[in-house]
Amino acid sequence: MIPLSLSEAQTPTVTTQAPDLDYGLLSPLLVVFAVGVLGVLVEAFVSPQRRRITQLVLALLGIGAAFVLTVVQVGALPAEGAGLTVAFATLVVDRPALFFQGVILVLALVSLLLIAEDRDGEGAFTAQAAAVPGSEEERAHILAGTRHTEVYPLVMFAVLGMQLFTAANDFLTMFIALEVMSLPLYLLCGLARRRRLFSQEAALKYFILGAFSSAFFLFGIAMVYGYAGSVNFADINRAGSEGGLIEGGGPLLLAGIALVGVGLLFKVGTVPFHNWKPDVYQGAPTPVTALMASGTLVAAFGALLRVFYVAFGASVEQWRPMLWVVAILTMVVAAVIAVTQRDIKRLLAYSSVVHAGFILTAVVAASADGLAGAMFYLAAYGFTTVGAFAVVTLVRNPEGGAEAGDLTQWAGLGRTSPLLAASLGLFLLAFAGIPLTSGFIGKFAVFEAAVAAGATPLVVVGVLSSAVTAFFYVRIIVLMFFAEPAENAPRVLRPGALTGTVVGVGVAATLLLGVFPGPVLDNLVPQPEETTAAEGTVPEALFMR
Amino acid sequence: MDPMNYIVLAAIVFTIGAVGVLVRRNAIIVFMCVELMLNACNLAFVAFSRMHGGIEGQVIAFFVMVVAAAEVVVGLAIIMQIFRTRRSASIDDANLLKN
Amino acid sequence: MNTVPLQTTAVSAAVGGGEAATFYVLGTLVVLAALGVVFSRKAVYSALMMAVVMIGLAVFYGINQAPFLMVVQIVVYTGAVLMLFLFVLMLVGVSSSDSLVETIRGHRLLTAVIALCFLVPLVSGLAAITAGEPVGLSAGVAAAGGSIPWIAGEIIYRYVIAFEATGALLITAVLGALVLAHSARTKKKRTQRQMSQDRIRGDHPTPLPGPGTYARHNAIDMPALLPDGSVSQLSINPVLAARNPELQHGVPEDLSYSIGAAPDEKPDTAASDNDGQREDEGSWTR
Repeated sequence: MIPLSLSEAQTPTVTTQAPDLDYGLLSPLLVVFAVGVLGVLVEAFVSPQRRRITQLVLALLGIGAAFVLTVVQVGALPAEGAGLTVAFATLVVDRPALFFQGVILVLALVSLLLIAEDRDGEGAFTAQAAAVPGSEEERAHILAGTRHTEVYPLVMFAVLGMQLFTAANDFLTMFIALEVMSLPLYLLCGLARRRRLFSQEAALKYFILGAFSSAFFLFGIAMVYGYAGSVNFADINRAGSEGGLIEGGGPLLLAGIALVGVGLLFKVGTVPFHNWKPDVYQGAPTPVTALMASGTLVAAFGALLRVFYVAFGASVEQWRPMLWVVAILTMVVAAVIAVTQRDIKRLLAYSSVVHAGFILTAVVAASADGLAGAMFYLAAYGFTTVGAFAVVTLVRNPEGGAEAGDLTQWAGLGRTSPLLAASLGLFLLAFAGIPLTSGFIGKFAVFEAAVAAGATPLVVVGVLSSAVTAFFYVRIIVLMFFAEPAENAPRVLRPGALTGTVVGVGVAATLLLGVFPGPVLDNLVPQPEETTAAEGTVPEALFMR
Repeated sequence: MDPMNYIVLAAIVFTIGAVGVLVRRNAIIVFMCVELMLNACNLAFVAFSRMHGGIEGQVIAFFVMVVAAAEVVVGLAIIMQIFRTRRSASIDDANLLKN
Repeated sequence: MNTVPLQTTAVSAAVGGGEAATFYVLGTLVVLAALGVVFSRKAVYSALMMAVVMIGLAVFYGINQAPFLMVVQIVVYTGAVLMLFLFVLMLVGVSSSDSLVETIRGHRLLTAVIALCFLVPLVSGLAAITAGEPVGLSAGVAAAGGSIPWIAGEIIYRYVIAFEATGALLITAVLGALVLAHSARTKKKRTQRQMSQDRIRGDHPTPLPGPGTYARHNAIDMPALLPDGSVSQLSINPVLAARNPELQHGVPEDLSYSIGAAPDEKPDTAASDNDGQREDEGSWTR
């Protein structure tokens, strides 16, 4: 490999040799990609009756295999150093990347079960997206039982993008990964079976705002490239500590950090870039919402952590104030808006915004503890939120069969279907951060890291915000268990094997991570003695560079 | 003339595109303004590429064009779908979701 | 930066006076066209302005030692992507001009303020930097044996993973367009044979009468007149008739004077409805 440390100004990098690709390290990505491509072929060559089952089996096997391969790689990581790089260091395989990829794969597997749920031939997806809602044509397709099995390859490509997003080691690969992740999600958002107008609007809104934010991301990359003369994270880091290629180029780096931050914070969904979240979460088919709320959030934070800790790891003083402001705004504004929500999916969306704020407090810490806290929090939150959205898919309007989103309808649900209400109650308690749930441990970890890094005011705001949000979570629990059933009480579907599994996994993960967090929490990052760093920089041993 | 002028031009065009996204109501024009922003980014990449004497900027600009092409297909498909449903490409007409 | 090898100080690397002049002329043009994209009332004008911006940028790419990108910009971006925009504009209705009336009060003022808050610090920050003479790409071009081999090496060797990932991106785009635009058949397609049989066995084997063709009207929504002066119900497409029942027995006002009204016609309402109908249609087709 050509060493990257040479200054480009003197000898321009000319690549004339194909990289020595280690296919073993790439295997989880390759498997997911291959299954996506196979899925497209299945669409072309398998008869419509067999397509769904073929696609589902393929997708589950593919994601399962990718997960196993990811776990195998954790064992194969070298003892020395943080990890390995692939293909001229455009991709890394290190602990955080493998952890995030593993979590994403499990969450995708769970979401796939929700996506595949198919009651009486009625899934969550529209029979024919090209047919105008309410038209004769649409009716004919519903009667004929047409299905969009293309959603499975789309989900696979989205998952591929998420995996790449957390492992990309330069801005170009990261930008492509961002698009690979986002494009299928834009499409999937518009495919809901019921309330199709809402769904199509959600897709349009998500698409336009997503494209808008990726343009900001890209302009930020251009600025950083102008400063450092490279988009490789290690080179940018070096330029950040030694000064860039252009004399007095400080404004370039500042603008780059701010604009790249805008792009990433949009994907994460923090105030003031959160506007898309409630609308898109509400309009999208609920299984897709579950995938976005868990997988995309994990992937986006994985990328955000890598960008701020590795690429901008030498410029902590430049980005810390910005993230401070965003974290405080997020925790305050989103909590206040969340209290006024009347729709369960919007409420979960705002709750996701607030949680993003909590995780940002760990990012601000810029330390090993911060990284570990954020990683744990993301895993815990991902499982809980998938479970919560699975519950949402089960509660339907008495007539019509659309999901009953209105919270007043959920009154008294604890009496009519205690098990369902109890599991939702558990998820809400985890969101609120009550002890013995994973949410508590996660919050404790991120706040501890923030205090250790001297961000105590941020933690005070975080605790207050937790208290406000806890209020409305508890209000829903009280409503479910102690209020009279509403007049237009919803119809609660019996969870099928697929949805049942999802809720079960959510409950199990929430409790297990809450009661025995040790094994996970202690092994996330290398031991503390390796992770000291100079003031204003991020410890080097955390990520492969 | 300093080559940074190209970057300043890119910043100006980028901002004009961003303003377009914020003020226009027609989804297709909004999307065109996003393309304008991407084009501005490309200009910055190409100019920096020459300043630094590395080809990386041009490579990125090339990838951006590919991404933009894919994005256009998806975006216009979504816009067409909405248009067929409600015979309008205005973002304002698409506001059922507002609470 | 200062240790530039000799061969990179070729003419093309330095910023000459000619380049400065081109920059200011073309730069002004690009900015004006960009403003045109944003502020044109009609979408097609926006698209044409966009073409001007893109071609202007292509020239800048050429000046900045990126001949390959210059060609790609014109062929792919202007030639394919922008044309796709135009296709969709034509489908959606070219003249669906956008109202520029504010829907949210103070929205535009707010946008202007935000834009200035973004632009002023950014531009003042950027303008404060002096990059000096660009290094130029000549050294690398010479080492790689041309600018295109150099780009190719970087794309296919260094960024091979990103390159492969764009494959996923393109598949997604195709799949997405198919999902959103392609409608599967629910019934079997009728064959030519079936259609001809149905027609012969049906009650109208001959072609239906065409719509009316008059001196000043020959639109498909004009009914044809039978020899006795009455209106042929079969001459208008049922879809159009269902949209405006008056069409079934209305002939244009100016014609009804000369040929005499159809038995149950109400000339005034029919005429005004026809006008309304034509205007509606016009907005999609003109």
